[in-house]
Parts: sequence; structure tokens; C-alpha cells
Amino acid sequence: MTSPPPRPSTSPLVSRKPVSGSSPSPSPSQGRNPVSLRLYKVLGAGFEDEPTKEALRTLSELYGATTANGTRATLVNGKATKEDHQDDFDSDDGDSEEDTSEERKLSLGPFLSDEVVAPTGAAAHARKNLKRDIDVKLAGSSRKFLSALGGVDQKLDALQEHITTMRAQCDQAHSQLQTTNDACKSLLDQAGNLRQERDTVASQQSILNLFLARFTLTSEEVTALTSRDVPPGKRFFAAMDKAVKIREDCRVLMSVDGPTKAGLDIMTATSSNLEQAYDKIFRYLTSEFQTLGRGNRDRERSVDPDANLEASPTLKEAVRRLRDRPELLSDALAVLSQTRQSTLLATFLDALTRGGPSGLPRPIELHAHDPLRYIGDMLAWLHQAIAAEREFMESLFGLGREGAGRMIGSVRKFEKGRMGEAEEWVGDMVDKNVGKLSGPLKLRVQQTVRSQESPILANKIANLLKFYELTVRRTIGEEAALSEALREMSDVSNKVFFDALEAQGRALLRVILDLNDAALAPPAPVQDHMQALRDILSMYDSSRLDDSSAPEAEEPVGNGAAESSADYGVERVLDVMIDPALEVCLTAAEEKKRIRPTWDGPVFVLNCLTYLQDVLEPYAFASTKRESLNAMIETRVNQLAEEHYQDLLKDTGLNVIVAAIESKPAGEPLSHVDTAQPHELSAVLQKFSTWLSGLEVMHSPRLARLAVQRLHSQIHQTALARLARTYQSICEEVRKPENRYEAASTLLGGQRPFGQIHLLRQIFGLGDEDM
Amino acid sequence: MADYDADATELLETYDFLMKYIIIGEAGTGKSCLLHQFTHNSFKDHSQHTIGVEFSSRTVKLGEKRIKLQLWDTAGQERFRSVTRSYYRGAAGAILVYDITNRQSFQNLDRWLTDARALASSNLVVVLVGNKSDREDEREVEWAEASRWAAENNVHFLETSSLTGDNVEAPFLLCARSVLLSIESGSLDPDKAGSGVSYGDRALRRVNSSSRLSFGSLSYGRRKKATSKLRLKDYVPGTSNSKCC
Ligand SMILES: Nc1nc2c(ncn2[C@@H]2O[C@H](COP(=O)(O)OP(=O)(O)O)[C@@H](O)[C@H]2O)c(=O)[nH]1
Ligand SMILES: [Mg+2]
Repeated sequence: MTSPPPRPSTSPLVSRKPVSGSSPSPSPSQGRNPVSLRLYKVLGAGFEDEPTKEALRTLSELYGATTANGTRATLVNGKATKEDHQDDFDSDDGDSEEDTSEERKLSLGPFLSDEVVAPTGAAAHARKNLKRDIDVKLAGSSRKFLSALGGVDQKLDALQEHITTMRAQCDQAHSQLQTTNDACKSLLDQAGNLRQERDTVASQQSILNLFLARFTLTSEEVTALTSRDVPPGKRFFAAMDKAVKIREDCRVLMSVDGPTKAGLDIMTATSSNLEQAYDKIFRYLTSEFQTLGRGNRDRERSVDPDANLEASPTLKEAVRRLRDRPELLSDALAVLSQTRQSTLLATFLDALTRGGPSGLPRPIELHAHDPLRYIGDMLAWLHQAIAAEREFMESLFGLGREGAGRMIGSVRKFEKGRMGEAEEWVGDMVDKNVGKLSGPLKLRVQQTVRSQESPILANKIANLLKFYELTVRRTIGEEAALSEALREMSDVSNKVFFDALEAQGRALLRVILDLNDAALAPPAPVQDHMQALRDILSMYDSSRLDDSSAPEAEEPVGNGAAESSADYGVERVLDVMIDPALEVCLTAAEEKKRIRPTWDGPVFVLNCLTYLQDVLEPYAFASTKRESLNAMIETRVNQLAEEHYQDLLKDTGLNVIVAAIESKPAGEPLSHVDTAQPHELSAVLQKFSTWLSGLEVMHSPRLARLAVQRLHSQIHQTALARLARTYQSICEEVRKPENRYEAASTLLGGQRPFGQIHLLRQIFGLGDEDM
Repeated sequence: MADYDADATELLETYDFLMKYIIIGEAGTGKSCLLHQFTHNSFKDHSQHTIGVEFSSRTVKLGEKRIKLQLWDTAGQERFRSVTRSYYRGAAGAILVYDITNRQSFQNLDRWLTDARALASSNLVVVLVGNKSDREDEREVEWAEASRWAAENNVHFLETSSLTGDNVEAPFLLCARSVLLSIESGSLDPDKAGSGVSYGDRALRRVNSSSRLSFGSLSYGRRKKATSKLRLKDYVPGTSNSKCC
């Protein structure tokens, strides 16, 4: 096996070998060197174990030291080898190439190179003297050890000495410490106690601090509460809250622990602070109310009632707080009320008499000549003022939010106790603030109303007032001064209205009918009078029309009463208006008829009655009066029908026979009565027959003067029907044997209608049914 | 002491302007419902007839201005005419309502407008509102026709539904905007009585607390308002260019 690679194949070293061309390996001589062979053998025999290698390395060092040449390389190699052995091949980039070359030397060892360099004699010498060399070397080393250890021994002795000294000193220190410790112990105990005490005190202090923080006001808080320099605001209210809270907590504590001195002190202190705070709120509100209440008037002279009064949050909060001291609040509000009253009054008077600063809007009194507009404008101004007051008061009492969209004019309940407390305050304030306006309003309204001669206008004004009375009552309640005033005004105007009506009625009664006037129509004064009634009724009607189309939802306000009184109003109007008219028609007609018998009184009266009835005809609400008129008409119609029948009887001549029938003594034959002797009878029947062919059968000139055609035919037909029955009874009498008419049938059949009732009824245009 | 001034938050609750509006039109056109939607955000079912005149209010925000609206709802019936006439006095705006399903209510508009023009201040802003736009099937008045009428009479116009709440805020805001524009242009002076507008506390404070300059925020707002003005034009009949078709 002469081929050089000692570790053939396998190893990547082989393949890498050519790359490291710089290898110093002296491979050509290797094959012949016995030592080398031997070594190969030894190595091949498995001396690769670490102790063997180590021994060999030591050996090589031993000798390497003598050969100057290669020592260095060997050392370097040996070192590198070791590393390379442990590491894998790709350990270090920089070294990897060298590694390959050094790897060779690894297994070959330095001997190999020595062997190559040194002559074989050295090896022999080594083999021979190895033991001695080693012994010499060992002896030398031992000597070195000895001398070195001698030095060490000396040093140790010195050290021993030092240690001994130290021990002594330590013992001394220890004993000293012991003493000190004993001495400190009491001190420490003392300190511990003190520390404990301090902790207790500290916790007590913090508790006390907490207590104080919770149960007393800071000086700033007290200042905020009591000082005049700090206006009510966030800080003030926070301090108030705290004071209140302290009192609550304190009360709770005392209820548990019983009254304590501290507790009582706290209660006293906070109570005085709070009272001062309430006083301060009171003062604040009073001064704010004095300026605020003046509203727009400070800025400019406005005549708009909707002065934009606003309540600031502080103001609202102040009011809210003062509600805990109702007497103070009420005093403060009295101030506000005072200013509002005078401001509103002044504004109202300006609106009435002076108008806006630039003349616009024009003063309301400019329209005083137009009573409706004048009063309407005043009331509308008032209504708007009420709305503004109400909004302001609601916002002042914090009712604003939820009610922001509520209709001010809409239905509202005013029952004490059922409204919130704030709601009551608000209602009360609005009532007071606008109440003073009633004076000037009343003065003007009454002046205007009293000067009304036209009942129509008086009625319109009364309606207007009634309407506003309702509106205002809904907004500020029934008991409010202004509601009361409006009610009074509306009563007054109502009275003026009725007074005017009655005056008119009285005037009508003084009318004397013209004796020379043959007319049967209602006289002109009555017609004028009724025209006024017509106007009033249509006014009532239109308002009723609206009311009835409005849903019933208004009942709760209690205007059921108003409604019935309105109806009562109509009844009264009808009485006041119709009665004088009736009286004129009836009594005056009676009188005239007495003086002028030719004048047809009954027809005149019927014409008047039907005329009156006609006026009421369209109105359902006038039904009562209409019924009573109807009854009168019916009576008069019956009377007239009776009269008319008698007239017809006379005209036809049948009255003679009727009288004969009625007046003949019982048992005496009719034909023996003078006026009903056959000859006479025949003459009467002929006269009747002639009448039948006349115009008057169908048409009565007298009844034609009735204004209502229907009554004409009704009365005429009634009379004709009776006439037919009378004819029939005459025929029956004539036919009776006991009346002893010879040839009664011939007698009757001689003239139309030939004794035939149905024929007569035909002529009269009557039906057949009641024969 | 700084925290006494903490009341700055108060300003949030106050307003810059107070405006009085009157709501007019025939009975049954939905005036009260419209107002109810506006103030309560809900439909007022079983609405009963308005008796005479009723009041409500609401504060709205327009840009950075807060405006308190005092709303006077009137009854449309003839017999209340003489009553309601007294409320035109000092109104800044009139919301004139008709019912798009009722031609009669549209035909009577002239009468209402005449009243309004005669009795209110010359600066009165009128917004015509065609209500019940939800009942399209029963429509009797076309949008175009009403729009023409509005243009001829120089009033704003839009349609709403107080039932669905559709567009109900628009007439009130539109009116307020118009009034504000008049104030800015100087043709309307809130300090004058009878204009139907007055400064609220908030605006007043601004005047009082700092220099006149800061009140110039109104005119300062003018530049900003240029955009809103454009939007406004969409409503104003005759100026809208999207209207041709
Ligand atoms: N479909 C529909 N009905 C409405 C609308 N607004 C009001 N109504 C109805 O119209 C009627 C009259 O409404 P109201 O507000 O009392 O009218 P006003 O007399 O003008 O106040 C009521 O029955 C409402 O329910 C709406 O926008 N759409
Ligand atoms: Mg209504």
C-alpha cells in the first residue's frame, strides 16, 4: 500500500486535497520510512484514543523543544488540529481551506515532519534515553516545585499569622457588637412603639381629614356661599349642594349615634351657611328680576308683546333652588311680577296709543272706528302677550323642554293639585303678570261696546269676546284675573246686545198699522226687524256649523255649559225678537180689523205668521220657536177654514137648507119647513148648480191673498170637503121618507150634481175615499 | 376667578333671533298637522279643528345661527277671519298652506295672500306649501301650476306631507333663511318693532360683550352663505334653472 492517501476515499478531505495545493506534505518519502510505516501501523492499530494521542503529543513536545525547526508549525498545527477535530468542516470560512491542509498533519503528527527533517539518529537517541530524559525532566520539575512550594509555605505561614490576628479582632468586634446590640434593643423597641403610634395617628388624621372634607365646607366654599362678591354660579351651586349633602349625612350619622356635639355644630354651621346662600339667591333673583322683567323696554321701545324674555341657566337654577324656600321665592317672584306688570302695561299702552318707534306697527287705537278690528287687535295683542309670558315662565321654572312644542292655546287642565307645583307657580305668575292689563282693556272694550247701537255689531263683539274668553281661559285658567275680566266684558257686550234687541222690540211694538193700507203682507217695520234677526241667526248658524264639525274633544274644559248657554242665548234672541213682532201682528191687526172690518185680518195674521216661520225655517236650533209658531198657524188655519166653509155655504145658498135641517122641530117633516119646501129646495139646488160651474169652485179670491199658496189650497179643499159632506147630508135628509118629499130623486136629480156625491167630489177635485 | 365665567355654556340655550310666523290657509289643509310635525316630529292623528289661533314654538339652527320661531296657527274658517287678521301684525313670515288634493283650497290662495300683504309688514316672507303630498293619487293641483302661481306672486313654494313628515322642516327653514338674508342685505332691521324679528339674547350678548366687529359675524357669514344662497335658489321660483323641464 504505497499510495499516499492515508485516509482514502470517503472523506471530503480527499476531494479537497488537490485544491490545497500549498500543502507542505512530504508525501514522496513516506513510503520508505520505517518509523512512518510503524506509525501508520500504530495509528492503524487504533491509537487514536485520546489518552494515547495526548501522550504522544506530550512526547512530541518534549522533543520538539529541542529541534528548533518545525516546532512552531507543530504547535500551530496541533492547536488547529484539535479545534478541527471537534468542529465540523464548515466551521469557519476563513480557516476552512487551511484546515484541509492541516488535517493531513493531524493524523501524521509532528513526528512525521520531524522524522523527515531530522536524521534517524535522533529517533534512536530518543528511544534510548527516553526514560532518562523523562526522569531528568521530572527531577528538574520536582525541584522547581519544591522551591516554589517552599515560597508558598512561607506565605502560608504569614497568612496564618494574619488570620490569627484577624480572628482575635473579630472576636473583639463580635463581643462589642453584642454589647451594642443589647444596648440598642430598648431603643428599637421604643422606636417600634413610636412608629406604631405614628401610624395610628396618621390614619386617625386621614379619617379626620376625610371627615372634615365630608362634613365641613372649605373656606372657599363658605365664601362662595356667603360672599356678596361671588355671584351665584357653578361654584356657588356646588357649595350649596355640598352643604345640603353634609346636612343629610350628618342627620344620618346622628340618627345612628345620637346627637353629638360635632354633629350639632355641623348642623348649625351649615344651616347658617345655607340660609345665607338662600338669602343670596333671593337677592340675586330680586335684582335680576328687576332688570329682566323690564324686557325689551330697556333696549328700545317695543310695542310687540313677544318681547323675547329669556331665562338664563343660572337664573333657572336659582329659581329651582329657591323653591325650597317658597316664602323667599314668592317674594322674589312678586318683584318679577311687579316689573312684568308695569312693563306689560306700558308696552300695551304704547301699542294702543303710540305704535312702534318708527310709527310701525301703527297704534291699535287708529282703528277705534272699526270696533271689531279694534277690539280684535287688542285681544290678539293680549293673547300673544300671554303666550310670551307663559313661555318665559315655563322656561324660568324649567318646564320648557318637554313643553317646547305644546300648543299654548290648546286645552289645558287647571285643577289645583293635579298640576305640578311648578305648573302652579307658572299659572299663578302668568295670571298676575297679565292681570293688570284687564283695566285698560276693559275700559276700552266697554266704551266701544256701550256705544254700539247696532245689535248685530254688539253681537259680533260679544262673540269675539266670548271666543277670547275661551282661549284665555284655556291658557291661564278660569280663575285668572284676565279670564274673569273677559267674562265680564263678554257679559257686558252680551247685555248690550240684548238691550239693543229689546230696544228694537219695544220700538216695533210702538208701530201702528196704517188703516188705509189694504195690503195683507207683513208691514215693513216687521220685515226690517226680521231682517236683523235673519242676520243674527245666520251668524249663530255659521258658528254652530264650525262647532258641530269640530270633534267633541273640548268637553273637559267645561264648555258644555258654554254650549248650552249659547243655545239659551239663541232661544232668548228668538223670544226677544219674535215676540214683539208677533204682538204687533196679532194685536195691531185685531185693532185694525175692528176699525176696518173689510180689511182681511185673519189672512194678514196668517201671512205674518208664515213670514216669521219662514225666517226660522233654515235653522234647526230654532225648532222650539218654530213649533210654537206652527201651532199658532195651525189654529189660525183651522179658524180660517171654518170661516171659509161658512162663506162657501152662504155663497152656494146651501146654508138655508142646513139651517132648516138644524132648526126643524123633531117629528116635523123637513118639507114642511118654510125654507125647505120642495120649491125652495129646488131653487137652492139650482143656485148651487150655478155656483158649481163658477170659477170659485177652484179658486177663492180671498184665500188667494194668502202669501203661502199651499195654505190657500189646503184651506179651500178642507172647506170644499165639508161642503160636499153637507150636500150629502142634505141629500140624505131629502130622501128620508119621514121628510115627505114627493119624488125626492127627481128633485135632487134636477140639478147638478144630481144628488151624486162622487160627482160632486169630482167637481171639487177631491178624492172618493171618505164617502 | 375663572370659573365664574363657566356660564359660557349658557349660550347654547339661547338664540340669535326670534321670528314670528303665522300659518294660514283654508281649514282642513293640514296646517295644524304641519306644525305638529314640525314641533313634535310626529303626525297628529285625529286632529281637531283649530279654534281661532293657537301658539307653539321651536328653536331651529341655520348654519351657526340659532333662531327661535314663534308659530301662530290659525283657523281657516270664515268666521275666524276677523280674529286671525289681528295676528298678521308683526309677523316676519307666513306659511300659506293649501291641500294638493283640494282644488278649492288652491283657488282661495289669492284671498289669503291679499290679507297677508295688506295686514303684515312689507317685509313679510311668504312660503306657499302644498300639503298632503303623500296623496298623489288624489292630486288636484299640479306642482307646476302651483309653482307658476308662486312665481307670479313672488312667494317661495314647496310641497310637504305632514303625514309622512316629508319636507316639513323646509318651509320654516326656507322662511328663516329668507328673513336672515333680508337682514343681511339691510332691508330688514330686527331692532325695529313690527318686523317680526328681534335679536335673541345670544346675539345681544355678542353685541354687548365685545366690539361691534364681532357682531359683523353676520356679514362675515355672508361669504359662507354664498353656498346656501345657491341652495336657496332651488326653492325660489323663477330663479331655479332646473325647472325648465
Ligand atoms: N294624507 C294626509 N292627510 C293630512 C295631512 N295633513 C293633514 N292631514 C289631514 O287633514 C285633516 C286636517 O288637518 P288639520 O291639520 O286639522 O288642518 P287645518 O285645519 O289646516 O289645521 C286631518 O284629518 C289630517 O289628518 C297630510 O300631509 N297627508
Ligand atoms: Mg288647524
